[in-house]
Amino acid sequence: MASTEDRLRTLVAENLEVDGQPVNVPADLNVSLTDAGVPSMDFVAFAKVIVREFDVPLTPDECADFSTLKDLAAYIDSQAA
Amino acid sequence: MCSSAVGRWWRPFGIVGEATVFHVDLAPHAAHEARASEWLNAEERVRSDRYLHAGSRRRFTLCRAALRAVLCSRLACSGQQLTFGTSSYGKPFARVDEMPNRISFNVSHGGSHGLIAVAPHGRLGVDIEERSTRDDLSSLTDAVLGPSEEREFALLRGYRRTHFFFRMWTLKEALIKALGVGFSQDPAKFEVPLAVRRGAKTGMHRFPNLPQTEWRVDDLGTGDFAAAVAIEASPRRSQMSSE
Repeated sequence: MASTEDRLRTLVAENLEVDGQPVNVPADLNVSLTDAGVPSMDFVAFAKVIVREFDVPLTPDECADFSTLKDLAAYIDSQAA
Repeated sequence: MCSSAVGRWWRPFGIVGEATVFHVDLAPHAAHEARASEWLNAEERVRSDRYLHAGSRRRFTLCRAALRAVLCSRLACSGQQLTFGTSSYGKPFARVDEMPNRISFNVSHGGSHGLIAVAPHGRLGVDIEERSTRDDLSSLTDAVLGPSEEREFALLRGYRRTHFFFRMWTLKEALIKALGVGFSQDPAKFEVPLAVRRGAKTGMHRFPNLPQTEWRVDDLGTGDFAAAVAIEASPRRSQMSSE
């Protein structure tokens, strides 16, 4: 089964774009969604995607607060543990 | 701070109460971007460089430089004297020679458009969005709209549906930004004043969970974008205005 980081990378690619272009996050996921240029409306939409895909609690505010996508993946794993 | 040879990329857009709203042109423009980048301090350049996409870097740089120009003009200070602090909820405030200033401001950008709102004091928030034809609006409504707003949205079709959603979003985002607590204030837990939902350009709002404060909210949308500004109608006297 794909790791949480791999699934998160796929969800970003499938659900987020900036200026009509896919968000190409670095392989190590050491980037925040804010630095990726994701607008606030997409935080709301993406938080819903995360909740649905991983069955974890996550508000748009919490989604925006993670310093990196790697931290978000670690949070998801911690909720599943 | 502004060279006449390069010209300005921001202009006054409207007056709302004590607030002045400026429109910022964020379309690609090499001379504007070069001049704007010169006005940023080292910390802001680092932040700009962190953005993954050129468009995001451009929007941040042009908006931050325009904000610097507007604030320096209002505060009669140089760019070197002006720095920014951040409240516990991440909302920036101005410092002149390291001293916090009461001036209130807020910035938003979306696509090729930015807005800056500035007032002498009192909390305010601004939001701007280019109306896109995103196909997930229906999935967002339960996270953004209140029950009455959802019913009104469900009755609409085509561009009216898109227009209504982006109008509600910008009005709510402006109110949330004015409140200064981010999305910990759930947008689905309050509704835009009925008269504004029905087309009025301005209205008064109270958050159900914070009824002691009244907010003026104005629809600033045009054919090109949805936009709104929210202003505290009775500013607190005891706290920093931009917190």
